[in-house]
Amino acid sequence: MHPAPTSEIPAQLIALFAALMLVAQLLLAVQRMLLTSIRLFAIQSLFLAGIAAVVAYSHNAFHVYVVVALTLIGKVAFLPWLLDRQVRRMKIIQEIEPLVNFPTSMLICGGLTLLGYLVARPFTSLERLGNNTLAVAITLVLTGFFLMINRRKAITQVLALLTVENGVMLAAVALTTYGMPLVVELGIFFDVLVAVMILGILVYRIRETFASMDTSKLSQLKG
Amino acid sequence: MSLLAPLLFVPAGAALGCSLVRSRRMMAALGVLAFGLTLAGGVALLRRVAAGGAVTEWAGFLRADALSAWMVVLISVVSLATSVYAGRYFQRDLAAGAVTPGQMKEFFILTPLFGCGMFLVVLANSLGVMWAAVEATALSSVLLVALYNRRTSLEGAWKYVILGSLGLALALLGTVFIYAAACQDSSRPLPSFNWSHLLTVAPQLNPRLVRLAFVFALLGYGTKAGLAPMHTWLPDAHSEAPSPTSAMLSGVSLKIALYALLRFHILTAACLGPAFSCHLLLGFGLLSMFLAAPFILVQENLKRMLAYSSLEHVGLICVGIGLGTPLTIFGALLHMGYHALTKPVLFFAAGNLHQSCHTLEMRLIGPGMVKLLPVTVLCLGLAAVAATGLPPFGLFYSELTVISGGVVAGQMTVSVLVLGALIACFCGMLRQFTRILPGEPKPRSDGDGRRMDGVPAMGLLLGGLLVFSVWLPQPVLDVLHQAAGIIGGEP
Repeated sequence: MHPAPTSEIPAQLIALFAALMLVAQLLLAVQRMLLTSIRLFAIQSLFLAGIAAVVAYSHNAFHVYVVVALTLIGKVAFLPWLLDRQVRRMKIIQEIEPLVNFPTSMLICGGLTLLGYLVARPFTSLERLGNNTLAVAITLVLTGFFLMINRRKAITQVLALLTVENGVMLAAVALTTYGMPLVVELGIFFDVLVAVMILGILVYRIRETFASMDTSKLSQLKG
Repeated sequence: MSLLAPLLFVPAGAALGCSLVRSRRMMAALGVLAFGLTLAGGVALLRRVAAGGAVTEWAGFLRADALSAWMVVLISVVSLATSVYAGRYFQRDLAAGAVTPGQMKEFFILTPLFGCGMFLVVLANSLGVMWAAVEATALSSVLLVALYNRRTSLEGAWKYVILGSLGLALALLGTVFIYAAACQDSSRPLPSFNWSHLLTVAPQLNPRLVRLAFVFALLGYGTKAGLAPMHTWLPDAHSEAPSPTSAMLSGVSLKIALYALLRFHILTAACLGPAFSCHLLLGFGLLSMFLAAPFILVQENLKRMLAYSSLEHVGLICVGIGLGTPLTIFGALLHMGYHALTKPVLFFAAGNLHQSCHTLEMRLIGPGMVKLLPVTVLCLGLAAVAATGLPPFGLFYSELTVISGGVVAGQMTVSVLVLGALIACFCGMLRQFTRILPGEPKPRSDGDGRRMDGVPAMGLLLGGLLVFSVWLPQPVLDVLHQAAGIIGGEP
């Protein structure tokens, strides 16, 4: 069975959703409130699920619907709920001052976006759907790294890790029409598992032992 | 008879069994039994592969060629020694109140799972499943690193999980790019994402995407393999984990990540020619070796020093593979084996010292440990001599093979650099061990001289090291040559 050539509307929808994912990421980069950050991540994952749904619908690829379902259950509903509960329980509302202040962060993220587009340019002809999805994917990975370096709370670092993985998933959807059988599903499954594990065990234990979630206090091991 | 599937089911069954029984002896015995069986299976697999080439099962889902068979044996040996050592180790820890029975149970359940994950990495044919299995080993070992629940062990586990997950995200991106490179010229789904299939179509893959894929795989799996400069989690995790876990992390886990990287290397070399990936491996390997030397020299913590020594050895293996001649690759594979026999002994001995002295700081341990713990120190000394690459131990021969292979291949500069780094690491290790082993002991209340702790495990490994240093059975040689051929790109 050959897929029908991609028509205009799905391609535009995908480009739109990818752009919105990027917007969510940039907002996340300058967001101080933890609860809002969690919601931004959920929204970003929702757009990822949207892209996968468009792909699944326009290509009649049924197993991509599994990706949609897993993303919705794991990354849009379950993880944000879990993180939300964790934050409320610890009564931490705000991120402490990041290493680089917010205007500079915004500027750096802008630069990283440019870099992402530059890296992805030679490969635009390979993209099946939409324009610039690969560029957005690489940008998400790069800015995710930056977020991770820049933030100090365990929860925001977990969020940064999850956005990196959203970027990887977006690349998988952008470059391969049918998604990657099994791999993407396993990837999402493990994302959720990693995050749950970090939260369930480490954050809890770190809080017990350090009475805070500030990972910059984890600095005894050196050399 | 099916050989591959039991390698996965036996450790998984042992984990299940450990979750059901309560007594420490039973759990330890289950671990020993499971890895004893996998060792027997691994040897049988080695013989079969040596005689008849790659073995596949489950319609090609599981596949073992010479490289996989070699890794299976290494995993089994180190896990078996770890299980033998762990029983008494945790008995002493329990007596000293360092762990609760629950934490000990966690160890005995997670260790077979960790082993099972590593078996899946080397047996899975699909690159996607391989990635997932590496992730699974990372998750199970993070919990093991955090086992003691101390401030510092949480810090070590935190760095390990964060860096490991980031690395594995990059490795997944590399996997995605390989997939895209394979399916870009057809509008149908890829018939199979199996490594063996990809190798047959490697020349038709999109070269630019393969290049990108290898870079991401190198960064990703390289993080997990502890290659410099992504190694920063390595000393923390190794020093904070319980000693049996340190032995498994250093003895095999690093090489498993390297194995995953090698699969990408072989594909990349088949698509782009060997130069690109070999040069990268060579560069990262040399950097790791040179970075390790000064850190060994100034290290204050015994297990951190051993972790940096692992960094040096992983670097040497990468250099051997990066040089890309059959001789150097053979030397690198041999080095993996000898290192797997040596490094656990060092960590077991360090575990004994830790339990006797309640510290790993070398200025607090030494001097004069030879009077307090003669048997442990004897094993530690022998293993240290082996790890620094002195004859008559095998690491001397494998290092010599890599260096002389480099000279033969006309890579004089690389050989000289490797030799320099090895000498620097040798001096560092020598200085550190002379600080703690000889001399007059400090007066202290504990640490009586009659303790024979961990002797079975250390004796097993050292005996194996001595025997295999002078004599390698023919099937092992055949498998190593086959594996070197696979990595070197021979059909």
